[in-house]
Amino acid sequence: MVKLTMIARVTDGLPLAEGLDDGREVKDVELYKQQVKALFKNLANRPNEPSRMSVETGPYVFHYIIEGRVCYLTMCDRAYPKKLAFQYLEDLKNEFERVNGPQIETAARPYAFIKFDTFIQRTKKLYQDTHTQRNIAKLNDELYEVHQIMTRNVQEVLGVGEKLDQVSEMSSRLTSESRIYADKARDLNRQALIRKWAPVAIVFGVVFLLFWVKTKIW
Amino acid sequence: MGTENPGRPSFPATPFAAAPPTMTPFSNSGSVVGSEASNLRPMRPTVPPNTSPPMTAGPAGSGESPAFRPAPPTRFNDPSLPTPPSSYGPPAAGTFNRFPTPPFGSMPPGPPARAPVVGQPPFQPPPSQVSPPLSFRPQGQIPGVPMGSPPPGVNTPQIDSSFPASRPNFQPSFPPTVSGYPAAGASSQLPLPGYVKQSNAPFQAPQGPPVQSPFQSPPVGYAPSAPTPSPHFLSQQGGLAQAPPVASPYGLHSSTMPPMGAMQGLIEDFSSLSIGSVPGSIDPGVDSKSLPRPLEGDVEPNSLPEGYSLNCNPRYLRLTTNAIPNSQSLVSRWHLPLGAVVCPLAQAPEGEEVSVLNFVSSGIIRCRRCRTYVNPFVTFTDSGRKWRCNICALLNDVPGDYFAHLDATGRRVDLDQRPELTKGSVEFVAPTEYMVRPPMPPLYFFLIDVSISSVRSGMIEVVAKTIKSCLDDLPGFPRTQIGFITYDSTVHFYNMKSSLTQPQMMVVSDLDDIFIPLPDDLLVNLSESRTVVEAFLDSLPTMFQDNLNMESAFGPALKAAFMVMSQLGGKLLIFQNTMPSLGVGRLKLRGDDPRAYGTDKEYSLRVPEDPFYKQMAADFTKFQIGVNVYAFSDKYSDLASIGTLAKYTGGQLYYYPSFQAANHSEKLSHELTRDLTRETAWEAVMRIRCGKGIRFTSYHGNFMLRSTDLVALPAVDCDKAYAMQLSLEETLLTNQTVYFQVALLYTASCGERRIRVHTAAAPVVSDLGEMYRQADTGAIVSMLSRLAIEKTMSSKLEDVRSNVHLRIVKALREYRNLYAVQHRLGGRLIYPESLKFLPLYGLALCKSTPLRGGYSDVPLDERCAAGFTMMALPVKNLLKLLYPSLVQLDDYLLKPSASADEFRKVMKRLPLTADSLDSRGLYVYDDGLQIVLWFGRMLSPDIAMNLLGPDAAAELSRVTLVERETEMSRRLMGLLKKLRESDPSYHQLCNLVRQGEQPREGFMVLTKLVEDQTGGTNGYVDWLIQLHRQVQQNA
Repeated sequence: MVKLTMIARVTDGLPLAEGLDDGREVKDVELYKQQVKALFKNLANRPNEPSRMSVETGPYVFHYIIEGRVCYLTMCDRAYPKKLAFQYLEDLKNEFERVNGPQIETAARPYAFIKFDTFIQRTKKLYQDTHTQRNIAKLNDELYEVHQIMTRNVQEVLGVGEKLDQVSEMSSRLTSESRIYADKARDLNRQALIRKWAPVAIVFGVVFLLFWVKTKIW
Repeated sequence: MGTENPGRPSFPATPFAAAPPTMTPFSNSGSVVGSEASNLRPMRPTVPPNTSPPMTAGPAGSGESPAFRPAPPTRFNDPSLPTPPSSYGPPAAGTFNRFPTPPFGSMPPGPPARAPVVGQPPFQPPPSQVSPPLSFRPQGQIPGVPMGSPPPGVNTPQIDSSFPASRPNFQPSFPPTVSGYPAAGASSQLPLPGYVKQSNAPFQAPQGPPVQSPFQSPPVGYAPSAPTPSPHFLSQQGGLAQAPPVASPYGLHSSTMPPMGAMQGLIEDFSSLSIGSVPGSIDPGVDSKSLPRPLEGDVEPNSLPEGYSLNCNPRYLRLTTNAIPNSQSLVSRWHLPLGAVVCPLAQAPEGEEVSVLNFVSSGIIRCRRCRTYVNPFVTFTDSGRKWRCNICALLNDVPGDYFAHLDATGRRVDLDQRPELTKGSVEFVAPTEYMVRPPMPPLYFFLIDVSISSVRSGMIEVVAKTIKSCLDDLPGFPRTQIGFITYDSTVHFYNMKSSLTQPQMMVVSDLDDIFIPLPDDLLVNLSESRTVVEAFLDSLPTMFQDNLNMESAFGPALKAAFMVMSQLGGKLLIFQNTMPSLGVGRLKLRGDDPRAYGTDKEYSLRVPEDPFYKQMAADFTKFQIGVNVYAFSDKYSDLASIGTLAKYTGGQLYYYPSFQAANHSEKLSHELTRDLTRETAWEAVMRIRCGKGIRFTSYHGNFMLRSTDLVALPAVDCDKAYAMQLSLEETLLTNQTVYFQVALLYTASCGERRIRVHTAAAPVVSDLGEMYRQADTGAIVSMLSRLAIEKTMSSKLEDVRSNVHLRIVKALREYRNLYAVQHRLGGRLIYPESLKFLPLYGLALCKSTPLRGGYSDVPLDERCAAGFTMMALPVKNLLKLLYPSLVQLDDYLLKPSASADEFRKVMKRLPLTADSLDSRGLYVYDDGLQIVLWFGRMLSPDIAMNLLGPDAAAELSRVTLVERETEMSRRLMGLLKKLRESDPSYHQLCNLVRQGEQPREGFMVLTKLVEDQTGGTNGYVDWLIQLHRQVQQNA
């Protein structure tokens, strides 16, 4: 069953539309919405993500498709057929592009296409019950293949960014610290040199001085 | 009043016979001015009529004046000056003629008057006194009356018999037309201009101190002149000359005054009334005709001082005084409320709509510390890289996107493309951070009582029809959601799924544990389920036609509605016809007990009995549900309890006592239509910020506070206003100016989330007199009435009334202490010009429905309903409700070919006393909530026949006014239509009353004549005398 539906622009994570009274029966709906937002932000930072993906979170799964720089995302029960979920998203995508296509890039405020929520609402109802003829037919439709769509865990997805951050931070720390190390090493080297040769130099100096004094006086 | 100046009566005698010649010049020029002036904004402070005569006389007489006229009148507020007509005989003459006219808006009432400064605008302010070469510039420059402060000061209160015409009230409103007097008006000020220049240069310059040229022509130094006037007055006027003496000295020293108040500070302006010296004597000697009356309606304090032109319009925010006291001690001496009345969504006239700005990409610019929004009062420094918050003075960085260079004067070069930096009111499109969820769709949910009484009264039918007719106009298409529940002893739900052709009804009779029978489709999208909704509305009246159920399961139905709506929020409209009798929230018949009145328990009848309602209201607010209650019961139904639902959810209570479809359907359907179709702001919160050192401490109105200063308003619209009181946090304010910023975050019906921001500034003063001068009666009355109504919830009506009375007394006494002694005003009642209507409004407030009388005077429900209404009314509507308009119609109707438009011009409001009603006339009384047509007993039968046809002789209570085939009837209907259009927030039902038709006449008209003595209450004159006596007693 579809619990949440959100549509956002990938380039900046700006939410464009959202299902009406979404998440009515979901506990912690705020938590999931937070995750979705984090996910969008992630997508905005990494343009090379696959355009279809399922992400598991708790008892639910996020399914999303990215098309034309817009991300359509829905949250369903784990038991809900993946195939239906993606067909639902396809339906949304087709209608959304048809209605709002040209304005997507220029939308300047959040939820600029909130009027789309009525369509979401309506479509959602069609997909609510997996046992209707229509949905069974869709399930049996071999044309739409979803097996190769990757499934990952939300921690993983959200974690990727975090880990990458960590690595880059570590490497940059490494660079700067090695630079410091190099400086220090050079410094030490010089000091060692001085320490090693200074007594010899002094001895020779004294000797030469003595010689010089001797030649002068005598 | 007779006591006034002996001098006056004489003045016709015209000591200055010579003067007359001058007159003409003036008048000629006057006319010119007048025409020009008319464009000006009305508010100009009027200038006192020439007191200066002495000086001017010579020159004036010479007649050089026409050219000169332009003389910039200096603004002298000296009250005293104006009046001395005696000295001025000549000039006066011209003016006098006009006096009689004052009542008309168009004429400058000005007699006493100071010619409004405005008149002069055309002239440039003569820097120096001499004006001759003045160019006539269009008014433009003068606008700012100095300081905005109402220098009304002239002592208008003329009780003088000699000046009957001069009603003080007018001044503010006067159109600049005063041109006729220009010369005169200015005169008093003359002394100043010269001085002023130097001292207050900043202020004056812009305004062009209007000096009167005629007078000036002799380039006499001012100095000489200044002194002269005063002596003059004193001698002549004795008691009257209040300020004059003072004035001149001040003028001289003006330089020492703080800049703000400089002008005003120069002279004290106040008004006074002489009141019979023998209190309680039968004939008090007060000419009731000349008492101040707000016959011009509410006058917004639009005379904002120079430098405050960036403030938001007063229709959005009004301060009770436009001068904020700088110390605690000053606050404690200002006995009136100190605060603001805010109407964040007030309807703006065409062309002045608040502009919407999109900052989503760059983020809205706000102060880091106090979260103030960027506004016209912030200053940019560091060549544009930083900005200083005007409220907390913190230096903030300017974000890169917003950066602009500063020009030589420190202004941003892109200033003209930045409405947020040039306008006091703007709207920002809110970015995602301002949303906790996507913008909600407009949602209307109806909870309709279908028990026998609502069927019988025809309410259901009217409601169903009205809703149906509004379906096309509901805001927010295509997202609008709609749903219905009906109830009697059971609760009925309706499935309106779009695929159905007829709605399905589901009945739940388990009231103790109410549940929703269907998860979806009780609340549907209107555009999708349109046919089902229409089918439902069509069948609703017949469905319950034969319902004999008398019970009302209101509480359970309310809970059910809450469950359905809680997901989205929205607006819940309750149509309630019987007392809730079943399930939770059932109420008892407790209000019919007269014994409770007059005891300490009396107030408990006005507070909700069952905590259920307040609890429900809190839940509703939390889930963004606003409740509007429509109550129709003919019997007691405890609106005190039910009304709390509306009160705490930012809603409104409409009450139609003894509703009968035949009589009230028009009113109900108009008001319901307006409620459904007006622009509404959803899921809103409002916060008002103010500068350092002051704080808003209490809030008054219909809403719930979410935190100490966050006002939660689930649904708000243009007909709601909120008041808040200020207090000083520090003992002494050091800043020169304080700023206020109202921010309303809301979702518009179109689905946009927006922030509406209004910003205003007010000077800080150290002088109590200045506070009085800048007082705004409208805001004060609004605040006082809210406080009074709140107080009725905890004490006896009697106490509340005496409290209002006491507050006014204290304020006047304080004012008297300021001035009375030094001016030897003895037996006169003095008050600041700005508060001249305060006593009358105070009286009207004590006689208003929520506060009036005792048990038998007003039914309890009506009292409570009026209380809820008054808590929400914007200032203008409140003042109209307190002091309704009364206009004589028969002359107008008889005059051939007068159009309704013309009538508005000639329309003259009459004082609200029985004396104004002539038994040969036809009058219309309009308080914004209803209209009453009063037929005099000796009204020409012609008119009655024309208007009422054959019904003319019948009992008028059974007659409804319909348009007939006569010219007169058409005109009357046109006129009523105009009256209604002028205030669309309520529908004013028209009642007909014939003189002597008791008791209808009694409760419809006579008790509403606030100036009369009715049923043991004071009349206006007595009220003033009583005020005066108390002011003096304790002085």
